[in-house]
Amino acid sequence: MIRHNFEYRAPREIEEALQILAGAGDDCAVLGGGTWLIPNMTFAAHQPGIVLDPKHLGFASISECGGEVVVGARATYVDAMRSPIAVAHLPLLVSMARGITGGISITGQGTIGGSACYGNPSSDVPACLVAMRARLRLRSIGGTRDLGASDYFLGKFATARRSDEMLVGIVFPKMTSDVRWGYYKLKFSTGSWPIVTAAAMVVNDCVRVALGAATAVPILTEMVLPADGGGEPLAELAKSCASISADEELVDELAGPGYRRRVAHSIVLRALEQCRGRE
Amino acid sequence: MTEHFQITLNGKLVETDIDSRALLIEVVRDCGAKGAHIGCLTGDCGACSLEVDGRLAKSCLVLAVSAAGREVVTIEGSRDAIARELQSAFVACNGFQCGYCTSGMIMVAIALLRANPSPTEAEIRNAISGNLCRCTGYEDIVRAIASAADALRGRTFERNT
Repeated sequence: MIRHNFEYRAPREIEEALQILAGAGDDCAVLGGGTWLIPNMTFAAHQPGIVLDPKHLGFASISECGGEVVVGARATYVDAMRSPIAVAHLPLLVSMARGITGGISITGQGTIGGSACYGNPSSDVPACLVAMRARLRLRSIGGTRDLGASDYFLGKFATARRSDEMLVGIVFPKMTSDVRWGYYKLKFSTGSWPIVTAAAMVVNDCVRVALGAATAVPILTEMVLPADGGGEPLAELAKSCASISADEELVDELAGPGYRRRVAHSIVLRALEQCRGRE
Repeated sequence: MTEHFQITLNGKLVETDIDSRALLIEVVRDCGAKGAHIGCLTGDCGACSLEVDGRLAKSCLVLAVSAAGREVVTIEGSRDAIARELQSAFVACNGFQCGYCTSGMIMVAIALLRANPSPTEAEIRNAISGNLCRCTGYEDIVRAIASAADALRGRTFERNT
């Protein structure tokens, strides 16, 4: 039983939901898959006065819109894995979803949008969204705005979503057939949180790498691949994508000072090698 | 705050008043389905695994009021051929020791075998990676699930030949 009292609201219309958010501000938590919010409430780490359940509002589908794919904010990792649209056009996202920790119940309950809203740096979603040039679609009673993932993640558990805004979807440019991609993460055991993640996309000779979980927000690097894309040049490229200062390095009980800085380039290199393997 | 609550639990309509702060696992157990267990309440151990509208869920991560109107199935209501074969296989392979994780493990295994009748060992291990056995009896659990899959495939083969 959750200890604190709260009001449960499950509006039938998005306008009603947005009114609730506008009125409650920080005191309202939007329920996604529940994998973060509910245990945080059970253990009193988060005590919102209102829980807004968007279960009647949709936002769970994955659809094409021209050259883009819109992943509804309530789409789960399994929804992404089973979506022919995501499999065809967002293979990097699907690869990330397949590797989510927690077994088939967590991948069926947890949502990609929920993870994006939670903004946990030690999670898989942020770096993927940054690497894939995703835009977060935020809606309030004032209107709708799209925010690039690079501008959305602001810090540990901090995003640019205002308290009166609801994430309704994530918009991804389709990955065309000439995009080579890789996703690699380091974790200590099957059930462990990611220690470092790397999402890489290569188009022609341009590489885009997002290093995740090593710092409070993903580090994005864009550069031109060296003419000889293998061996030493690739390792040097990985090092330049994984340059982290001691001040910005994420340190926690799983990885102490210096650990993530030491391993980050290896994880980036493995993601880049996956790109090379998909030539 | 008290909410009127209605679900279909193991095929039977259940109506009751619940506290809106209650978790689904708590309400399901209060309604008599005690096969689903309360473990960590953090979503880590999987002892509370059950099905909501045909989808596997860790019910400590679900507000009961949010599941109103849904169809919930616990191990008590899992009686199809897959469930029966798994229960037999868990007994035959010593797939449980203290038994605390067993109902959750079987619920996950049911979901796995419905989606994938021929899982590899790696797929079995991945499927149960969200379920903790405090006795660390994983090897026998994996063996039980593989054994049930083999038996079910054998039956399908017999039917088709």
